[in-house]
Amino acid sequence: MSLDDHTAAVGILANPAAGRDIRRLVAQASVFPIAEKRNMVTRLFSSLGGLGVGIVYMMPDRTGIADRIRHALETPPPAGQIWPRVEFLDMPIEDSAADTLAAVELMVARGVGGIIVLGGDGTHRLVAAKAGDIPITALSTGTNNVFPAMREATIAGLAAGLVATGQIPAAQAATRNKALRIDVNGAERDMALVDLCTSTTLWVGSRALWSAEGLDQLFLSFAEADAIGLSSIGGLLRPVTRSADAGLWLNLAEPGAGTMTVTAPLAPGLMVDIGIEAINDMRPGEAVPLRASRGVVALDGEREIEFSPTDKLSVRLEWDGPLTLDIPGVMTYAAQNGLLTRMDETSRHAKLRGD
Amino acid sequence: MQLSKDELLRAYRMMKTIREFEERLHVEFATGEIPGFVHLYAGEEASATGFCMHLDERDKIASNHRGHGHSIGKGCDVDAMMAEIYGKATGLCSGKGGSMHIADLSKGMMGANGIVGGGPPLVCGAGLAAKKLKTGGVAIAFFGDGASNQGTTMESLNLASVWNLPCIFVVENNGYAEATSSKYSVSCDDAADRASAFNMPGVVVDGHDFFAVYEAAGEAVRRAREDSAPTLIEVKINRYYGHFEGDAQTYRGKDEVKNIRATKDCLDKFRAKVTSAKLLENSDLDAIDADIAEIIDNAVDRAKAAPKPPVAELLTDVYISY
Repeated sequence: MSLDDHTAAVGILANPAAGRDIRRLVAQASVFPIAEKRNMVTRLFSSLGGLGVGIVYMMPDRTGIADRIRHALETPPPAGQIWPRVEFLDMPIEDSAADTLAAVELMVARGVGGIIVLGGDGTHRLVAAKAGDIPITALSTGTNNVFPAMREATIAGLAAGLVATGQIPAAQAATRNKALRIDVNGAERDMALVDLCTSTTLWVGSRALWSAEGLDQLFLSFAEADAIGLSSIGGLLRPVTRSADAGLWLNLAEPGAGTMTVTAPLAPGLMVDIGIEAINDMRPGEAVPLRASRGVVALDGEREIEFSPTDKLSVRLEWDGPLTLDIPGVMTYAAQNGLLTRMDETSRHAKLRGD
Repeated sequence: MQLSKDELLRAYRMMKTIREFEERLHVEFATGEIPGFVHLYAGEEASATGFCMHLDERDKIASNHRGHGHSIGKGCDVDAMMAEIYGKATGLCSGKGGSMHIADLSKGMMGANGIVGGGPPLVCGAGLAAKKLKTGGVAIAFFGDGASNQGTTMESLNLASVWNLPCIFVVENNGYAEATSSKYSVSCDDAADRASAFNMPGVVVDGHDFFAVYEAAGEAVRRAREDSAPTLIEVKINRYYGHFEGDAQTYRGKDEVKNIRATKDCLDKFRAKVTSAKLLENSDLDAIDADIAEIIDNAVDRAKAAPKPPVAELLTDVYISY
């Protein structure tokens, strides 16, 4: 197939920085090696190429994934596999979150039919900010995530390929997610996909929110009882599904100083007692003002916004989060419609003979 | 991670002292009065400060060729450091060590080191001593991305893990081992990744943000002091000058340093954070700036005026009989 406008294209965004934060020091968070991210990407190539995706756009980086992919592309794919053409986006590299934002913008501009993300909650949050209505295939590269799931890349690649090549309509395959939007002094500043937490800690510091000390308010777009991280606090008290037309907001306290105390897995291997003052349903569109006058706001577990007494902040739950591929749903649809099956020649001949 | 006003002022003073010391050396070295090489630490101040703020007299550090910041952080006398760099008798090592061999054992500063990867084995010894003597002390090795590839470093990581030593290995990854990019010369993507092979945690922190380094360093020091357990921390950082003074830096991009200074400077970031949070006033920091400028001025004047080591002491302290 020539690489014209009709060539199915997919973006792959593999965050090289994910999985090196302080939770490796204060908890037992896993280390997800770059080599395995590279392996996941090549497994995606196998699935995407086999389904007819002609081109994959990838974010360049200076820390190894891109180099390893280039190296992998220097040799032919394993026997029987067809890999798509791979193009690294022409963009400056800052070794920061700005790279992810810029790469997603370029992928969208190139008309990709989907973006496959390898990263944690934070990486998915960044991709969601720029992906618009391009469906995201969310793959977790670590054990500290809620939004993306740990899945086999081969299957995720099949699902993304089926949608990108038009074999399954995106509208049927993707699900809209909720988002928590934070307004600072009347203007929207940022968003979170799962949890937004305020802390009286004053500094962004090493970013990951790993201690219960100073936690003040918690906002959740969904809360699963078997989750890890901040959303487990709500999940263990009042579970809320991803599809429910509501979220939660909680006022937190020192253990024993609220109306109840919950023991929550704040990070892998890190069980922490959290005091609960109040728990409330959060309706879409409702703006809840923050009560702390000074501190930081953590978005999906990472401290991002420092605020002072002169700032006014509020949080809204909205149904304008990213579209994500329902991988089990896509694969079930593919099975029911025979998208990955074909009749064998012997079987066809037998039918023609009327055997 | 709340710091008192006094602690914030101390952190700023430490970073500013390092910066002013290095910026002044950059100017003075060009006059030709300073013998030997100097490798400047300007741009990396938040790393030494973030760690050394957690240390006390029980603790030891081992530095590398770029050691002025670590020395100041561990409390070495600035006048005596400057005199040492000028090769004067009033220097910390009587003027015989120069920049690359500054040491002050009374402060727990075991030495700058001209051997790439020379520091990590030393902190294993210091860590073992602290553990056996039950002093509660910790030992920190500061080294670069180049030294992170050295066999001495790998052996030290292994030994510290096998013996559960209260050691912290700090890779100050400024992107270049002399003129070679760490992207080329370090086989893994983050030097911190190597920790898992030695069964210890490895963490990456932003070396431009004092608070990020201070937080991670605090946990690593706590872990070493309380649990006698080692940690590897990679500080992603940039140096403002060449590998050594006189390095033409042809391997760096146009405006690379200019852009880093404009957007990531640790002193600027610190000032912006503490003043916008209303914890310190600009005037508090300006007063420190003025004080430090005078201290460095005086240190240079005294170093220039100080005598050279007498010929009669040529061999003193050079060879030791045990």
